[in-house]
Amino acid sequence: MNTAKPISVGMRHFFVEIGEMSLFAGRFFKEAVKPPFEFKELLRQCYNMGNRSLSLVLVTGFIIGLVLTLQSRPTLVEFGAVSWMPDMVGISIVRELGPVITALVCAGRIASGIGAELGSMRVTEQIDAMEVSGTNPFKYLVVTRILATTLMLPLLVILGDAVALYGSALVENFKGGVSFQLYFNRVFDALEYGDLVPATIKSFFFGFAIGLVGCFKGYYSKKGTAGVGLAANTAVVFTSMLLFVIDFIAVFISDIFYEL
Amino acid sequence: MEKSTVQKFRLGVFVILGTALLVLASYLIGNRQNMFGQNFTIETVFKNVNGLQKGNNVRYAGINVGTVRDIDMVNDTLIRVLMLVQEKMQSHIKTDAIATIGSDGLVGSMIVNIVPGNGIGPLVQDGGRITSYSRIGAKDMMSTLNVTNENAALLTADLLKVTTSLRQGKGTLGRLLNDTTMARNLEQTIYHLRRASGEADIMFRELNSLAKGMKGRESIANVLLTDTLSGRRVKEILVNLEASSKNMTEVTRELDTLVKGLSESSGAFNYLTQDTTLVKRLSVTMKNIEEGTAKFNENMEALKHNFLTRGYFKKLEREERKAAKNEDNSP
Repeated sequence: MNTAKPISVGMRHFFVEIGEMSLFAGRFFKEAVKPPFEFKELLRQCYNMGNRSLSLVLVTGFIIGLVLTLQSRPTLVEFGAVSWMPDMVGISIVRELGPVITALVCAGRIASGIGAELGSMRVTEQIDAMEVSGTNPFKYLVVTRILATTLMLPLLVILGDAVALYGSALVENFKGGVSFQLYFNRVFDALEYGDLVPATIKSFFFGFAIGLVGCFKGYYSKKGTAGVGLAANTAVVFTSMLLFVIDFIAVFISDIFYEL
Repeated sequence: MEKSTVQKFRLGVFVILGTALLVLASYLIGNRQNMFGQNFTIETVFKNVNGLQKGNNVRYAGINVGTVRDIDMVNDTLIRVLMLVQEKMQSHIKTDAIATIGSDGLVGSMIVNIVPGNGIGPLVQDGGRITSYSRIGAKDMMSTLNVTNENAALLTADLLKVTTSLRQGKGTLGRLLNDTTMARNLEQTIYHLRRASGEADIMFRELNSLAKGMKGRESIANVLLTDTLSGRRVKEILVNLEASSKNMTEVTRELDTLVKGLSESSGAFNYLTQDTTLVKRLSVTMKNIEEGTAKFNENMEALKHNFLTRGYFKKLEREERKAAKNEDNSP
């Protein structure tokens, strides 16, 4: 069996997939604004995506805040700049680490979940059955999931940021004797709208990318049950890569608007 | 509650919590930049803003009271800085307050410091202008430091020369530091000086007591110093003494003339004193007389033993003895 594909074939496959995904996204926007709206399913998906990822995001965020402070503390102490810790941690978490880490965690949990769920529905022909029965499977399955991830991720990011900052403040409180009030005062002194707004907008795009890639991979999964695993796997890999691409573009654009 | 209701409730809590946090963060950030609440604007003009940016803090007497809202050029040299300040501070900031640009710590961002003035001016109004003071920037400070540094280098070079000379014992100071003999001499000098001063002290004390004694008793000195009558007498004596000395001078002059006359005239005295031949002759004569006298004594002794004159001499001896005996018996 010849598994190695020529580069041109691989590239063509990649561009085909990008094109298909763009069409898929276009179809999502078309279906999303067209009634009827599946509110109930949307709420259920929001709960699944938001609440069920919360604990994972909170733990990750807390540890990130804790570790970031602990790791950077000796260097800052060496330079006599430990009083700048809240500024540094605050800006780095709100601007970059919070959204990216939360999105990656969610990519691992949500994108793979959506890919596997829709993939299994595809291979068990449930989607086909829905189409036959007159229900719009795209609206019911895809639109609700993509909307849910798009709406929930910014909230998860905000909560993740808060917990990360709390973790950092805890370390500073224990190690440096800095009060929580002073710590958060310094954090919000350092923060500007140029940090918070682009990060929040970026989170919407991250959420959208997670939902889109997960749904796309699951919705078009093939090759039977093996395709389910493949759909889940490629959803995570592709989402993670896409997240960094979006992050780069977001930073690039926010640099133009906010002069970071 | 149904399962779906519980889910909705939890979802609601999650959404509200997330949104509330987002709103809170936005509010806190906006509040720091004085976007909410009552504010008023103050403007000032600088020649150099040293990298001040929009959003930098404004401090009044060290308290954060606002932010920089706008920075724009008025003309080619002046820059207008518009500041957004909390309205509650309007009752404290007066028009004679001075705005300066400083740095928040050594590596911190730039800030505008409003320093209270004399406090005699009227309160600043919304949109009012306060004066500014351009502090010395880091660049100016560095250039000044550079000059100082160069001077310090020159100074240290000179100092090195001086210390080397000192170490080698050159110059007065070097000798002072290195020459042990000189040090010993100095030590001795100081010792002597100390002694001399001690003795001078004693002397002055004695002089003092002497002066006191002179003052107190009826000593000659005191009489001379204090008694006017005696003083007059002394004066008279002195006048008499002067007259006597004049007379004496005259007498001396006359004596001198006399002596001169004696020595210069052809009199016997001059002949006696000046003629050396005569002196020699006199000397020879004297010698002859001495010799004659000795021979005469011999003749006389011979006469004593001569039988013709022996009786006379014995008679003389007897009379002498008699006279001596009479003297012994008399009381």
